[in-house]
Amino acid sequence: MPVFKAYLKVLRRKSPSALIYLTVFLAIAVVMTLNDRPDAVYQDTRINVCIFDEDQTDASRAFCDLIAEKHKTVPLENDRDILLDALYYERVSFVLTVRKGFSERLAAGETDGLFESLHLHETYGTVLMTQFLDEFAGTVTAYEACGMPLPDAVSHAGSALTAETKVRTVTFDRNRSGILPQQTAFYFRYLPYILICVLMNTLSPVLLAMMRQDIRYRTNCSGLRQSACTAQIFAGCAVNFIAVWLFFMVAGCLFHGEIFRGYVWIAVLNSLIFSLFSTALAILTATFRPSPQIINIITQVVSLGMCFLCGIFVEQSMLGSGVLKAARFLPAYWYIRVNQMLDGTEPFRGSGIAAALCIEAGFAVVTALLAALIRHLRYNEAAYKTTLLPAKQ
Amino acid sequence: MKQSVVKIDNLVKRYGELVALDHFSLDIHEGEIFGLLGPNGSGKTTTINCLLSLLSFDKGDIQIFGRKMTPTSYDIKQQIGVIMQNVAVFDELTVAENIDYFCGLYITDPVKRRQYTEEAVQFVGLEDFLRFRPKKLSGGLLRRLNIACGIAHKPRLIILDEPTVAVDPQSRNRILEGIAALNRSGATVIYTSHYMEEVEQLCTRIAIMDKGKKIAEGTKDELKRMIRNTETVTIEILALADDIRAEIAALPHIYDTAYDGSRLTVFCSGGKHNLIRILHVLQEHSVSFGRVYSELPTLNDVFLEITGKALRDKGD
Repeated sequence: MPVFKAYLKVLRRKSPSALIYLTVFLAIAVVMTLNDRPDAVYQDTRINVCIFDEDQTDASRAFCDLIAEKHKTVPLENDRDILLDALYYERVSFVLTVRKGFSERLAAGETDGLFESLHLHETYGTVLMTQFLDEFAGTVTAYEACGMPLPDAVSHAGSALTAETKVRTVTFDRNRSGILPQQTAFYFRYLPYILICVLMNTLSPVLLAMMRQDIRYRTNCSGLRQSACTAQIFAGCAVNFIAVWLFFMVAGCLFHGEIFRGYVWIAVLNSLIFSLFSTALAILTATFRPSPQIINIITQVVSLGMCFLCGIFVEQSMLGSGVLKAARFLPAYWYIRVNQMLDGTEPFRGSGIAAALCIEAGFAVVTALLAALIRHLRYNEAAYKTTLLPAKQ
Repeated sequence: MKQSVVKIDNLVKRYGELVALDHFSLDIHEGEIFGLLGPNGSGKTTTINCLLSLLSFDKGDIQIFGRKMTPTSYDIKQQIGVIMQNVAVFDELTVAENIDYFCGLYITDPVKRRQYTEEAVQFVGLEDFLRFRPKKLSGGLLRRLNIACGIAHKPRLIILDEPTVAVDPQSRNRILEGIAALNRSGATVIYTSHYMEEVEQLCTRIAIMDKGKKIAEGTKDELKRMIRNTETVTIEILALADDIRAEIAALPHIYDTAYDGSRLTVFCSGGKHNLIRILHVLQEHSVSFGRVYSELPTLNDVFLEITGKALRDKGD
C-alpha cells in the first residue's frame, strides 16, 4: 500500500494548519461549557457610588434613595484624599454630592448646579451615571412645569427612571423541550463550520500533493495498477474523514457525555452525513488544483457563507424567507433543520428528519460525482496534451 | 545478435496540425546505452511518453521486451525505471521516504524494499541527506534523488529524459558515471539529451532526431563517418595572402577553407597528415602563425551537415 502510506505521511506533514482550527474550536467549546449558567438573566449595570447629601431635604433624601435603589452605595468619609484613593483603587466609580439648595433650585425649575461629582475617567458606568443625573433633573422639572408639587415630581421621576426595560432573549431559549439536550444541540449546531474547515485544510492539500501531475505520471509508469492507486488514495481520504469526524464525536462525549444517549444518534448520523459532504467538497476543490492560499479562501467563503445563510450562526427563525429559500440549495440548511427538530425549535417529525438527511446525503453524492467527472475530464489525455506542449520537449 | 529490448516501428504522433513524431522507428538492444539526441522540440520527450504509454499515438507499434506495450502492460512497466525531465518527488516527504515510496510502487516485500532503498541511496551518494526534505537540497542533489527514485527497484530498462538539465558540472559527472555503472550492472539505458558531449561520452549507439524524424542512427564513429568532414584545422594568422590560401585549398583531402582576418579554418575530408601539409605551405611562404588546433568532427558537425543548422540552441 505505498500510495496509502504516502497519503498518511503527507497528511501528517500537512496537519498543523488543521490543528489550529481544532484547538480554537475545542477551546471555544470548553469555554462555552464552563460558562454555561442556566439561571443567567438580563440585568441593568450597577456601579459603586458614594453619595453625600448636603441639602438634607425630603427631595434630596428621595433622590439619594433612588440612587441607592439603582446602584450600590458605598459609605465614605467626606475627605478629598480618601475619596480620591477610593476612586483610584476602584472601590467606588462615582462620588456624588447633592449640593445645598438642591430642592430650591429644582423647585425653581433650574437644572444646573444641583450636583457635584468626582470620577477619575470616563468609564461606561460614569457616563451612565451622568446621563441618569441629567435625565432626573430634566424629568423632575418637566413634572413641575405640569403643575406637580416637588415631592410628587421627585417621586414620579424616580418611578419613571427605575422602570426596567423588558428584555426578551430569543437566541438561546432554554425552555425548549426537544429530545436533544440544549448543550448537545449547541455543540452539534456549530459542527458544520469546523468540519468544512478541518476537512478542507487536510484533505485538499494532501490530494493536491498526491495528484501532482509529475508524480502522477511517474506513478502511472510503475507496475502499480491505476485502479489500485486510486483505491489507495480513496482509502487515505476515508481514514482522514473518519478520523476527523470521530475526533469531534469523542470530544463531544468528553464535554457533554450525552452524545450516545437517547435520540442523539440522529444528530451523530447527521454530522456523519455532513462530514461526507465536506469530504466530497474537499475532493472537488482539489480536482481544480488550486494553490494552498486559494484553498484557504474557498474554505472560508464556503464555511462562513453556509454558516450565515443556513442558520448556524443566526437561527433560521430569524432569517428572511428569501435567504431561507436560497439556503435550501445548501446542505447546511438541511443539517440545521434536523438539528432544530431535535432541539425542539421545530416539531419533531421522523419523516421530516429522514427527508432532510436524504437531501443532505444527496448533496454529498452529487458533489462526489461532480468531482469524479471533473477529474476524468481534467486528467484524460486531452488535458495532458495541453500541458505538454511540443516546445517543452 | 543481442535481444531487442525496445522496438518502435513507424510511430506517428500528431498534436493537431503539428506532427510530433513522423514515422519514427528505433530498435534498441539489450545492454546498450542508447542516446536520443536532438534539439528542443525534436520529439524526444514525446517518444519517451509514447514508449511509456503516457501518451497515445496515431500510428505505429511499440514493443518492449518483445511484447506490445499498452497502458495496462503492468508486467512490462514493472521492469522499467523512469527518470523524468522534471524532478518528480514529494516535497512533503524526506529523501528516504521518497525513495521508499517510488521503490514501493514496484517492490512489495518490505525487507527487499528497504535493502533496495539503501542501495539506491548509496548509489547516488545521498547518505548524509536521508532526513532532508527535497526543498532543502541543491539542484544537483535533487537530480540525484530523482535518479534514485527511478532506479531503486533495479529495473532492466532505464529511461532517462534529460536528467542533467540545470545541473552543475560536478553533479553532472557523477550522474553520468552512475548511468554507466547501471549499464555495467546489466541495465539497458535510453538517454535523451540535447547535450551532445554527454551523449558522445556515454552512449554506445545514438539516434539523432529533428522535427519528429530520425535523421541518423549508429555508433558515434558511424555517425561521424556519414559526413564529409573528418578533421577541422584552425590556425591563428594575422596576415594571409589569397594565393597562399588558394594553395592550401588545393592540397589533397581539403574541401573548404575560411579566413576571417585572424584565423584560418581548414576543413578536411579523410587523409592523413593534413595538418603537417598545411603548416609546410605556410613555412614555405614564411607566414608567421600563432596557435594551431586540430579537431575531430563532433555530433554537432554531423547534425549541422545533415540538417544545415546547429544542434545546440543559443543559450543551451
